[in-house]
Amino acid sequence: MTSLSRREFMKKSIAATTAATVGLPVTKAALAQARNAEAGWKWDKSVCRFCGTGCGEQVATFEGKIVAIKGDPDAPVNRGLNCIKGYFNGRILYGEDRLTQPLMRMKNGKFDKTGDFVPVTWEQAFDEITAQFKRVYKEKGPAAVAMLTSGQSLVQEGYAAAKLMKGGFRSNNIDPNARLCMASAVVGFYQTFGIDEPANCYDDFELADITVLWGNNMAEAHPILWSRATDRRLAAKDSRIINITTYRNMCSDIADLEIIFKPNTDLAILNYIAREMVQRNAVNMDFVNKHCVFATGPVDIGYGMRPTDKFAFPAEKDTQAQQLKHTIDKYEAIAQRRKEGTVAETAKAAPDAHWQISYDEFKRGLEPYTLDFVAELAKGDPDESLNAFKNKLKQLADYYISGRQKNILSLWCMGVNQHVRGVWVNEQIYMLHLLLGKHGTPGNGAFSLTGQPSACGTAREVGTFSHRLPADMLVANGAHRARTEKLWKLPAKTLNPKVGTALMVAMRGLEDGSVNFVWTQTVNLFQSVPNTNHWLKAARDPKNFIVVADSYPTLSGKVADVILPAAMINEKWGGYGNAERRMQVWRQRVNAPGQARADVWMMLEFSKRFTLKEVWGELPLPGLKVDGFPENKMPSVLEEAKKMGYNEDMTLYEVLFAHADNKKFAWPDPVAKGEDNTVVKLLGDGWFVEKALFEEYRQFTVGHQHDLASFDEYYADNVRGLRWPIVNGKETKWRFSEGNDPYVKPGEGYNFYGPLLKATGTGDLDGVKDATPKPLPGRAKIFFRPYAAYPEQLSKEYDLQLCTGRILEHWHTGSMTRRVPELHRAAPSAVLYMHEADAQARGLKHQDLTWVETRRGKIKMILDTRGRNKVAKGTIFGAFFDEGVQVNQLTLDATDPLSLEPDYKKSAAKVYKA
Amino acid sequence: MEQTNRRQFLIRTAQMTGAAACIGIVWTVLIQNQAQVAAHALRPPGALSESDFMAQCLKCGQCVNACPYDTLKLSTIADVAPIGTPYFIAREIPCEMCADVPCVPVCPSGALDRNFTDITKARMGLAVIDEEMCLSWRGLRCEVCYRVCPVRDKAISLTIVQRETSRHAVFEPVIHSEHCTGCGKCEKACPTEEAAVRVLWPQFVQGKLGEHYSPTQGDNFKVQDIGKNTNIAKELKPGSKEQAAPGMNYFNQSGGREGEIPGGKP
Repeated sequence: MTSLSRREFMKKSIAATTAATVGLPVTKAALAQARNAEAGWKWDKSVCRFCGTGCGEQVATFEGKIVAIKGDPDAPVNRGLNCIKGYFNGRILYGEDRLTQPLMRMKNGKFDKTGDFVPVTWEQAFDEITAQFKRVYKEKGPAAVAMLTSGQSLVQEGYAAAKLMKGGFRSNNIDPNARLCMASAVVGFYQTFGIDEPANCYDDFELADITVLWGNNMAEAHPILWSRATDRRLAAKDSRIINITTYRNMCSDIADLEIIFKPNTDLAILNYIAREMVQRNAVNMDFVNKHCVFATGPVDIGYGMRPTDKFAFPAEKDTQAQQLKHTIDKYEAIAQRRKEGTVAETAKAAPDAHWQISYDEFKRGLEPYTLDFVAELAKGDPDESLNAFKNKLKQLADYYISGRQKNILSLWCMGVNQHVRGVWVNEQIYMLHLLLGKHGTPGNGAFSLTGQPSACGTAREVGTFSHRLPADMLVANGAHRARTEKLWKLPAKTLNPKVGTALMVAMRGLEDGSVNFVWTQTVNLFQSVPNTNHWLKAARDPKNFIVVADSYPTLSGKVADVILPAAMINEKWGGYGNAERRMQVWRQRVNAPGQARADVWMMLEFSKRFTLKEVWGELPLPGLKVDGFPENKMPSVLEEAKKMGYNEDMTLYEVLFAHADNKKFAWPDPVAKGEDNTVVKLLGDGWFVEKALFEEYRQFTVGHQHDLASFDEYYADNVRGLRWPIVNGKETKWRFSEGNDPYVKPGEGYNFYGPLLKATGTGDLDGVKDATPKPLPGRAKIFFRPYAAYPEQLSKEYDLQLCTGRILEHWHTGSMTRRVPELHRAAPSAVLYMHEADAQARGLKHQDLTWVETRRGKIKMILDTRGRNKVAKGTIFGAFFDEGVQVNQLTLDATDPLSLEPDYKKSAAKVYKA
Repeated sequence: MEQTNRRQFLIRTAQMTGAAACIGIVWTVLIQNQAQVAAHALRPPGALSESDFMAQCLKCGQCVNACPYDTLKLSTIADVAPIGTPYFIAREIPCEMCADVPCVPVCPSGALDRNFTDITKARMGLAVIDEEMCLSWRGLRCEVCYRVCPVRDKAISLTIVQRETSRHAVFEPVIHSEHCTGCGKCEKACPTEEAAVRVLWPQFVQGKLGEHYSPTQGDNFKVQDIGKNTNIAKELKPGSKEQAAPGMNYFNQSGGREGEIPGGKP
């Protein structure tokens, strides 16, 4: 750096990267000079720590520290570019207040729930955690303990946690924060295709003629994908971008059409477009007849709130009552072909039940969704004229029905998934594409984007959900359990057949006493779950024990009993899987500070503290009623285990993790290329944990439509991630279509081969008429889903619609990005975006400190009427990254009843001067 | 509370220093300090032109007291602005552009124009972007300056361009001087190590076209102004010999070549 000024150096190295990115020539001298300045640095591939885009990074280390970072020019996702969060990827490891020692609440040298946190050894921490776990587990069984993980957990971490919980503790109470983010998408995939994850890929951004955003502020939430979509808009003059949203955001800056709609009326708009397709003879009947069936399900499914008001705050009771009974309003009456004022009771039947219907019934369902009806219902900006809005809806339908020559790509994310009818909206978007026969081919498809870097790779594919097993298998399916038990070498009936508690249910469980032990990993739930005032209090109940593993002090840590310091991204070996099924990996590059450890080590170390006889004997499991299992309890499998060669004093570590097959993967391994592995060193028994776990997990995927490549293949120098299924060394860009997907045979054209839910009863719009399961092999379901209102409507008192979300500068609850001074300076606090007229009507002005209040709590926020999000009158918006503001004290914990994913976007609020 | 006390203290110190200066104790320092204000030391909104401002400012600190965000400071000895005068540094605390502009009406002297009420008309400085170091110009998705700009889309807009063979559009922030108030929020928020966008006195960064040249139709293009400063001599009566007509002397001189006769005559 001596002969080169910093500025010159930056210019040159940026120029080199940029040149590689954009194909500009760069002089050899400039390159050499840049390289000279980096002498001694070691560059290696990595992945951005933040969103679901999955940008490739190059990380440079020197003398045990990360010294530089740049977008990876060879990464096809981002081609050398980053957003401002990615630019600071290296800095997030080095915040001043990194946690470096386990902390525990103590009094007089012992754990005490009322004590203050003091540093303890890992040994002390594990002793107390184990004792508390065993207390709850012995008394109440596997349903009272919960492991809450993350869509940011590494693949191996998720796999180890899931295997320990499900195979070891026989508890399905493991659920990731992906429940708060992608669960609605998952159920949409299951019900429509019988298999999870998108059929499309990022290549479609450059191939689409019409790109439609349904509730997805890509400009801020997927910054690099947005620059691709924007580039396409500029490159192809006839291409179009359409932004369908409840408030004006940065995507509107380049959109050709912006539609501001009232919350939940996306359900009606989608039906209007489908109705237009039918009316204009635009349905691709050939495709539909060959590859699809029509289906529908029950309507009165509630809002995923508790069926009792026992735990509700007094002000919450009227909203909660909606869970049991709901009065059909004027618009629902038309949309659902019912009488206004009918009191609809929430059906006892499963909300996810569904059955096949005829095309005529499907059309009958769409009939009420005329332009006049939908426009009046859906118009979201009071300042827009009805006629202008009608024209926009018509234009939108025109774009969808613009003929075979036009490629159309629909994209969505949190606006659709965090929705009391999120599964339905997912299914309706597939409905449009299936009616057109435009799905899963280059440039055409309904593409569900993902929020977190490994919501797909870890939470969904590995199966860290309470209902899942690896590779799209389900705990409730006997054959799936049997296959898992075989691969995991477990005695039959070790696995629990009862779906565990979803994340929101587990949080409620802390309050109602059904869950007493919670361990959180890579997640700050007490800030990110809606309606936090309940759970913040419940965590401090003396019966409950909370373990928080994290890298930085978070709000969740404040209500925990033990805090475990966690290693971060480049401090451990791991992999992430992004939204286009691309698995990407990195090596451990630096050591974690102090005693911070990888979550996978914590899981393995914890497993050493349990012998088989403590967990594989008979266990209480209230509510279990499954064929082949005793009622209300899990059977002992110890005898069976002994036959398999286990003895009851073996630890879960020996049985689940450090078994002979895994120990074959020895450390060191040439793939390390001189890099270290702290997890292996700490365990001290010489096996390459991350490789062994990956290869064990991989067995679930191969031959089962999820084929992953081998560990070593992902680490090859020239590989920047691969999109599964990877068959015969070739990745898959588009699924289900012939010539693109290796699982589709020649001559089939399409094959929606997903195996789940592939036989249903038949009936009409009102219900099942014949319950005999009718198979639908190779077909996708086109769902009719009606419009339904959301539970907490605006009232005279709570007169503003509160929407929450993200901003470009910060990631989730800000526990990492708020430690980067530059990002903090760029967006120091979450402000309340409000329309100028709404502010004036309340005697408020820009920059005033205000109270924002809902039935659940009130917080102070600074008012912003000039904000990046230009909300219409009646709408307010607050981001959830700010611990100083805690928007989720306000949000309603209603969920989609099918996916149990909360709806963060529709709380009724009032705002007044503080 | 501590904050306020400290602030009061600083203001008082500055005032006292000003007073001391008046009685000549630190006269020489003051003389030196009367030099130019630094380009990044910005004046409060509504400030008169610098010379008028300096002439009228009483150095009383009222505007500093009125500022709700601690943006304004009074300069001290050897500071970036002449002693006792109010200023702010964008990278430290930018102007929040209060709609009621509380700093202006409290000014007793009119150094801050009492008729100034519309904060969007403020021209405290002008943002200028270092395109070489700006992350957005490099193709990264940053645009922090754009999003924090209180007059976004007017003072800063994004020009979205394709970039060679890259498949990622570039979102280039561009400043528009006719709307930039110089509040400094962009400089404060810029995430690069040294801000890649700076707010400086407009005269330090703005060029000026020749008034004769109109790049677009409809400008205030005054053709009669061309050459207004040249001294074209009056026309003389034909045959007049008292004064030289334009060019006359020149023509009457020899061509300067050897052998030629001065005056052009044989």
